Amino acid sequence: MSQKPDKQPDPAEAFRNLITEWERGFDTMANRIMGTEEFSRGMNQLQDLQLSMQKRFNEAMAEQLANFNMPSRDDILRLGESIRALDQRMAKVESQLAKQAQKKKQKKKQTAAAADPSRPPRTKLPPSARKEQANG
Amino acid sequence: MAEPDVSPDLIKRARKMVDRAIQRNVKGLEFLTGPPAPVGLTPKDVIYERGTLRLYHYHPLADEVYRTPLLIVMATTNKAYVFDLAPGQSMVEYLLKQGFDVYVIDWEPPLPEERGLSLADYTQDFLPSCVERVLEDSGEPDLSIVGYCMGGVLSLIYAASHADGPLANLACITTPVDWSEMGLSAIWSDEKHFDVDRLVDTLGVVPKDFVTASFEMLRPAQKTAGQVRVWEQMWNDDFVASYRAFDRWGAETLPLAGEYFRDTIKELMWGNKLYKGKLKVGGKSAKLKDITVPVFAAMAEHDHIVSYAASKPLLELVGSEDKEEVVLKGGHVSLIAGPNAARRMWPRLADWLGERSI
Repeated sequence: MSQKPDKQPDPAEAFRNLITEWERGFDTMANRIMGTEEFSRGMNQLQDLQLSMQKRFNEAMAEQLANFNMPSRDDILRLGESIRALDQRMAKVESQLAKQAQKKKQKKKQTAAAADPSRPPRTKLPPSARKEQANG
Repeated sequence: MAEPDVSPDLIKRARKMVDRAIQRNVKGLEFLTGPPAPVGLTPKDVIYERGTLRLYHYHPLADEVYRTPLLIVMATTNKAYVFDLAPGQSMVEYLLKQGFDVYVIDWEPPLPEERGLSLADYTQDFLPSCVERVLEDSGEPDLSIVGYCMGGVLSLIYAASHADGPLANLACITTPVDWSEMGLSAIWSDEKHFDVDRLVDTLGVVPKDFVTASFEMLRPAQKTAGQVRVWEQMWNDDFVASYRAFDRWGAETLPLAGEYFRDTIKELMWGNKLYKGKLKVGGKSAKLKDITVPVFAAMAEHDHIVSYAASKPLLELVGSEDKEEVVLKGGHVSLIAGPNAARRMWPRLADWLGERSI
């Protein structure tokens, strides 16, 4: 015999539904407001103002550091970028070496000598191919 | 005096509510004071790292693996452990158990001196370098790539600009192609109001808070509603564990290298050049029609970050003959993590890749 349907309202479920409804309603309303050109313009104007202030502060700080004969943040960053450029060159050399190593490895593999015993064999077949094999 | 007639069902419900209220208080304290949720537990090695870039190789979990290695490319805005949230809730673990040899590209926050990294660095240097490492490590001549969100865009640009490269299969998950369909993000970054040059020139690296805010503003009530839901479900250990992992992931948004952000806005968002077939990166043309390998495109019906309309045109634009589209219910993240992904997405992806990985 089938169970009687539970007609008692579940307050927890009602609460969850309420939250979902609230979230949906709030997001829809907010997206409608935030999707206007006025909002976009206002938000970006505010951001530009913050960036202008930060730029002025950075410039003032750089001037002070120069007066004290100390490197500014930009000087340090340029140094970091030079190191990164060296790193990139190293990577290119490594890449060339890797290509050569790969060629050698593939040759070795072709002679069936390069199988790494600690790794599983690369022989897995998809289900369709296994079925075909089974059907002969 | 006669006792009031109270149904046993009502008593049972009241007991359950009281019990849950007690558990909410006990576990709520644990929730608030506990350490961050453990994530990314599947064993792996870092086989290559350079600045912001990390390449992981996961330890195999099958006795036999497919011949073609698989490289997953994470979006530059978030950490790749979303593919490996927890044992039993991990796309990486699932793919390993299905017999894939899995490599993942993850990103660390770019340092201030990495502000000059551009779209060309990501697609013409980082990705090809990782591809080389994967081929070297696996000893195979080709590989499959799975790109998620912006990781999908990087994969598409790599594939289009290396048409004669070692790519065997390409899967793109929630990957924007038509950037004019990016909804609110397109409106907020409209050329008329948004001065990307001023932002990048002033800050160098686009801060994490900026990236987080641009995601959260798309669904402003989501965070509050999530917090209320977790309070209500505090008695439910599985729900809380899952919430904590997702919450940690959402909070660990990454800053973006300035030049890369400038390129994304100017070339992709304003110029829509990937869609129009006019994109050039590092002097190389990246036309989607030049991609001829098998392509799998997965998109979410209710994706609020990359709309269905933004990712839909991919299969029409690639030059591949072997292509498959999967449209699933759910949102941006539910395609790679969570119950929806585990039930619907991962098996589809594994089946598609498996048939093409021999």
